[in-house]
Amino acid sequence: MNWWRHVMAMEIRKILAYRSDFWIIFLGQTAVQLVIATALWKSIFETQGTIQMNGFTLPMMTLYYLIVPIGMRMLTGENIGFISREIYDGSFNRYLIYPLSVFQYKAVTYLTYSLFYGVQLILLFSIYQFTMIDVTPTLMTFVHLFEGVALFLISATTYVLMAMLIELLALWADNIWTLVVMLRFFTSFFGGGFIPLAFFPLWAREILVFTPFPYLVSLPVRTVMGQSSSIEITLGIVVLLCWSFFFMGCVTLMWNKGQKNYSGVGI
Amino acid sequence: MINVQNLTKSFTTHVKEPGLKGSLKSLIKRDKKTKFALNGVNLQIKQGEIVGLIGANGAGKTTLIKILAGIVHPTSGEATVLGYKPWQRDNRYRKQMSLIMGQKAQVWWDLPALDSFILLKEIYQIDNFTYKKNLEFLSDTLMIKDQLKIQVRRLSLGERMKVELMAALLHNPRVIFLDEPTIGLDISAQKAVREFMKNYQVEFKPITILTSHYMADIQELCPRIVIIKEGQFVYDGSLSKVQRMLGDNKVLSVTTEKEIFQLEVPRTELSIKTKEIFENHNVLDLNIQDPSIENIIESIMRNGLGPP
Repeated sequence: MNWWRHVMAMEIRKILAYRSDFWIIFLGQTAVQLVIATALWKSIFETQGTIQMNGFTLPMMTLYYLIVPIGMRMLTGENIGFISREIYDGSFNRYLIYPLSVFQYKAVTYLTYSLFYGVQLILLFSIYQFTMIDVTPTLMTFVHLFEGVALFLISATTYVLMAMLIELLALWADNIWTLVVMLRFFTSFFGGGFIPLAFFPLWAREILVFTPFPYLVSLPVRTVMGQSSSIEITLGIVVLLCWSFFFMGCVTLMWNKGQKNYSGVGI
Repeated sequence: MINVQNLTKSFTTHVKEPGLKGSLKSLIKRDKKTKFALNGVNLQIKQGEIVGLIGANGAGKTTLIKILAGIVHPTSGEATVLGYKPWQRDNRYRKQMSLIMGQKAQVWWDLPALDSFILLKEIYQIDNFTYKKNLEFLSDTLMIKDQLKIQVRRLSLGERMKVELMAALLHNPRVIFLDEPTIGLDISAQKAVREFMKNYQVEFKPITILTSHYMADIQELCPRIVIIKEGQFVYDGSLSKVQRMLGDNKVLSVTTEKEIFQLEVPRTELSIKTKEIFENHNVLDLNIQDPSIENIIESIMRNGLGPP
């Protein structure tokens, strides 16, 4: 199992291979998203003439939108099509000839990206802690931050299995790009990535509890902000693990069935 | 050894009529077409043997290699390599096998080759001593030592192929599939790769299947060839036998004042034909040669020979 460590090291080297790309992803994307969200919510707060909306103050909202984009990147890891694109162009062949499980390999590469963005979250959070003045009533501490990052890694594991399920459809249909984009959109929207779930109507929140989405995004974000109780976190982990086992079973079934369709095109 | 019995592989593809009408129609209903890439082929290869697989594009060469490498499942039939069914992807088999694809990079594009090798060392669980020894041997023999710390995508095509060969051979495979390893390479790089494979085969004696459109590769490396046409083997035997079988002809290359032409004539009629040419044309130059191996193979692919 030593290859796990080497695959991770290899992926990190790939991330670091292009300097400008690294800095754009590391700082640029988050900065742009943060500026847009802050400006938007600032104007909403001003228009409404209030200092608190659904339990969120403006600094809290700013913090929320600092964590969400990085958290989403921890979830969605590698690029769209990390399996389907390779099935499409035949580079998937490489993993079939290596003496290891293709899905373990893919999961490790995927989670390496999640880990990388986790480090980014820790760094930015540290900067935020030392520069922002008023984030009350959040109870942010480094303990919560590490709990949240760990929760994001668990949710990334669930998400990668969901994504694999969609990506493997490429064994039947050539192009499934739209489906992967839809998965990202639904995860972000129903997970509270676009708007915090506190702004959703009660009936919608009651339904969403039965889906994996709130545990993928909203729960880890709130955990980083120190707003989740131990019970909520434990329950979230149990739910995510249950969904993970379910998706793992589906992925195994799909692969067993679909690999007979694989033609290894492109060689 | 490799043992293939009655192996068949068919692919079903969609057929779309050209134009906008065809595109709209295909949204509702798609016509399908089934094509046999392999149609009941049989093959036995012994340890240490190197076999050249020759055929036109789409003849089924790569499909056979993909099945034997465990990438693709066959539609029917049986195949075992070193006693394993390749498509079951047993790790014990995959540790003894290598596939080199001339048109597809397997080492990581954005990183220096050495980084890829370190990962392959772990994947194939190569011990330190063997890894260092093989790295040294391969980089020396392929004369690529100085390029191993440079990003693979910045290497020349020839250097990249050498790196691919290194990556594929680090774990001392007992079975090697070489799919057009010299494609796109210049003459000196082709020669270097051929020379390397020739020496490697002598020294390590793996089972090797080579596909190539360059006859020089086949002539240099493969005492035995299999000619494949539309998914079926039309010849399986020695290369020299093919040359002898069709070697009774001679090729006359004639340059006259008006034209340049070639004639393939039976050896027994050579003097009569030559005389005729001199009588009927104002000959400036006449050259008599054996038919090229390309022409012989092309003739077999076109007309067949029947089983040897």
